[in-house]
Amino acid sequence: MPEWLHEIELRAKALFNKRRLQRDLADELAFHQAMLREKFEREDRDLENVPASVHQSFGDAHRWHERLTELWQFRWLENLLRDLSFAARILHKSPGFTSVALLTLILGIGTNAAVFSLVNGLLLRPLPVPHAEELLILRQLPSGFGYSFCIPVFRLLEKRTDVFQDVFAFTNHEFQVRNGNRNESHGGALVSGQFFAGLGVPPQLGRYLNATDDQPGGATSGLAAVISDQFWKTWFNHAPDVVGSKLILDNVAFTVVGVMPRSFIGAEITSRPQIYAALAIEPLVDAPFNNTASGYHSWWFRVAARRKPGMSVAQTNAALRAISGPLVQEAIPDSQFRIDYKTQEQLYLSAESGSTGYSFLRKDFRYPLLVVFVLCGAVLLLACLNLASLLLARAAAREREIATRLAIGATRRRVIQQLLVESVLLSFTGTLAGFAVAPLTARFLSFFITNNYSDLDTSVDIRVLLFAAGIGVLCTLVIGLVPALHASFGSVQTQMRQGAQNLRRARSQRLLGNLMLTAEVALTLIVVIGAGLLGTSLMRVYRTGLGFDGHGLLLVDLDITKQSWKAPAVLQFYCEFADEAARIPGVGNVTYAMPTPFSGSTSWDDWYSNSKKQTLYASSIAPDYFQTMRIPLLTGRDFAWADTYVTPLKVVLNQAAAQYFFPIADPVGQQIRDSDGKNAKTYEVIGVVGNTKYADLREAVRPMVYKPLTQDDLKTPVYTFVLRISGKPGPAIDAIRNLTVRLAPGAPEPNFLTMDRQINEAISSMRMIVMLAVFFAICALLVTAIGLYGTLAYSTSRRTSEIGIRMALGAQRKQVVWLVFRENAIVAVIGSLAGMGVALLASRALTTLLYNTSSHDLPVMLLSVAALGAIACIASLLPALHAAHIEPIEAIRYE
Amino acid sequence: MENIRDTSGDLIQGTLDMLILKSLMRGAMHGYGIAEWIHQMSQQVLRVEEGALYPALHRLELRGLLSAKWGASENNRRAKFYQLTAEGKKKLTSESQRWARLSAAVAFVMQQA
Repeated sequence: MPEWLHEIELRAKALFNKRRLQRDLADELAFHQAMLREKFEREDRDLENVPASVHQSFGDAHRWHERLTELWQFRWLENLLRDLSFAARILHKSPGFTSVALLTLILGIGTNAAVFSLVNGLLLRPLPVPHAEELLILRQLPSGFGYSFCIPVFRLLEKRTDVFQDVFAFTNHEFQVRNGNRNESHGGALVSGQFFAGLGVPPQLGRYLNATDDQPGGATSGLAAVISDQFWKTWFNHAPDVVGSKLILDNVAFTVVGVMPRSFIGAEITSRPQIYAALAIEPLVDAPFNNTASGYHSWWFRVAARRKPGMSVAQTNAALRAISGPLVQEAIPDSQFRIDYKTQEQLYLSAESGSTGYSFLRKDFRYPLLVVFVLCGAVLLLACLNLASLLLARAAAREREIATRLAIGATRRRVIQQLLVESVLLSFTGTLAGFAVAPLTARFLSFFITNNYSDLDTSVDIRVLLFAAGIGVLCTLVIGLVPALHASFGSVQTQMRQGAQNLRRARSQRLLGNLMLTAEVALTLIVVIGAGLLGTSLMRVYRTGLGFDGHGLLLVDLDITKQSWKAPAVLQFYCEFADEAARIPGVGNVTYAMPTPFSGSTSWDDWYSNSKKQTLYASSIAPDYFQTMRIPLLTGRDFAWADTYVTPLKVVLNQAAAQYFFPIADPVGQQIRDSDGKNAKTYEVIGVVGNTKYADLREAVRPMVYKPLTQDDLKTPVYTFVLRISGKPGPAIDAIRNLTVRLAPGAPEPNFLTMDRQINEAISSMRMIVMLAVFFAICALLVTAIGLYGTLAYSTSRRTSEIGIRMALGAQRKQVVWLVFRENAIVAVIGSLAGMGVALLASRALTTLLYNTSSHDLPVMLLSVAALGAIACIASLLPALHAAHIEPIEAIRYE
Repeated sequence: MENIRDTSGDLIQGTLDMLILKSLMRGAMHGYGIAEWIHQMSQQVLRVEEGALYPALHRLELRGLLSAKWGASENNRRAKFYQLTAEGKKKLTSESQRWARLSAAVAFVMQQA
């Protein structure tokens, strides 16, 4: 057994049997003394002197006992425990300091861990499938349709087993599941034949879908569906004989053939499909739509692959590139469609690592999230710096205590250790508490980002744990460094003896503290300027003017596509539904539109007049749309329910379109065509309305055309019902729900959304980053204010006697205020200048996130400096005023 | 007479350890016996102070070079007897060799004119 192990074993035994150790030690020493006594007696000494000579020879038995006890203890452990309890007592005795320190740490570490778990969930966590590192996500380049694919390209790709182990397609599909005589909506996915094999997760019951299921019309044995563990539980109550059960999905009969395990989430990290069906049966479940039949005109699903063993991403990519030319050519006979409209290059396929699965959120949120991550790191750094400077100031205020401890025999090492234990205890508790609040914060943030329509997994895993531990250690280092630095400035004892050195030391210490404070001020200014720029952008986005009044609009997604109604029945339903809904109390104007502004779907076409051509955004609307949306009708008239297709085709233009096509003449009564070919239909312009934003809040107003619902063929009736309501939407929603049950009994429950929310969702990534940035800026300001106040208050308390003497010698209170205030004023000014300099360079990173705002926006910069200055003034004035109220007599006596 | 005190000097410390190990070569003994033995064997030149003896003994025990057992002394008192372990014996051998080399070298240097 190695010596140290033996030692630990014996010491541990002694630790658990302290009483026995004490008794043994006492016995051993007593025995020795007894033997000595006998010896002296034998040597025939003067019997009376025996005890004295034993004592003289043996020395102090108590001292030996103590030394031996020490030998048997884990000295460092017991010292540590003692230090810990002492530190806890000290921290407990200054609750103000402790709570501020802990709060800043919790804030810093909590938000960092939370933001990191988002980054982790969205960008780092691998898909929960075996060998996720072998997965690839396919896309088209140069840009084309990006990650979207069409059936002709995919079906050719699927056969290329020479390039991939498996290649598979997937897309989300909202299934209408028959429950009694109604339909319920459940999120699901359409997946191609190799999907489950490619992901490599076996089902927990039955089988998964394969190539035989993935053919037009399904397998000969019937249509198959695979369900998630969650759906098995909620719909089938975990019935063990679920395989073979029937489900009516989108009015089509399916058989459940398998149940996936609970851990399986498909290939998208932000959705949790409940039901999987084959891609090839899309026309059955999508009716009246048919993306499959649209061939290369419809790019509607994603493609992923598992690479062959032994083939790297680069090799696979090269092989894919080699086959993609002929493959695309075969799939898309029309050469116009093979060319990227921006770069005029031929489309080709490319693969990238897909170990983390696919998410549409990633594209939108990667950069904002990283910016947020940096901001939040800055706040943590700030919290650490703040705590460090507070500790430094506090250590200075505790000089007397430390000097006393040194004077009564504590070693310097022990004092440093004691101070270190104190800061470690602080940072450790802070880290732990911060980490405890992180999951809650993360859930809140992810709710914020995704508006709860996706299921991003932000739970704690090994990466989050490591990250939290990492920042915890980092904080401890930064914070713990202070006592070490403090101690390295020379022995406190010499400082007590020598006044000159005392001064030098105090100066260098104050310099260090001021340096940290300056860095804090600079960092805060950077965060505040960043938040200011982002906030200004968001405000400008909101103020840019939508062209309509979005407040108080309720949007109802009615899904009547599965009712198999003919056009007249649909029109009749729309009319009747609108009439009835308008009678609901609290409901004003009602109308329909497809699509509504900012809904995420857009529609555009090329339109022609006699001499001009222009791409126009398009929207199909019912009468009263402009009134409901409060879009001004500039000239002409609105559509009417009587404008059916037995009358001439009509359109309404927005001002931009009208000005483009008819800059001089009155647009009303003019005609425009929807193509320049032979089959062109001619439309009469019956009115002009004000401009509105359509697809993106951040883009400029575009020319737009409105077509009437009444002249739509209504083969795909997916209009959104739009109504203006007064007051809360709750009662109206209930009434409309009932109305749907009455007028469209089979239809699923409609989805409700306010226009306000739809607008917010359209800019959710921007909103998220702005709100977080503002939150962080407020935190930064608070933390800095605390730091400036705290350090100044401490250093002023040390100068009590000096100030007292100054006042006794005739200094005015005003002068005293300035004397104290000056200390921080210098720090704030230098810090602001430095922060401004860095901000000018760093704010460029925000350019892509800003709207109508320069990254060097002067008012924002000035306001940020003003805000910081105001906070710094308040934080510094309080100790200064306090100092000015020192009574000279008391101050001198105090020393 | 030379008193061996517990100082931090490596030579003295190491030497005391070696002397203790040596004293236990012929069998188990208690602390008092060890001190007496060293005193006798050095012809009353070396006297081990108790303040040095016991820390040294306990340190050697902790390191596993000695094992300790409670037993009755010659005059029937409860006493703690120390005994060399296998490791202790090995250590004694290597220490003796090292000492022989060292003392010969020191003597050689001191004999030079």
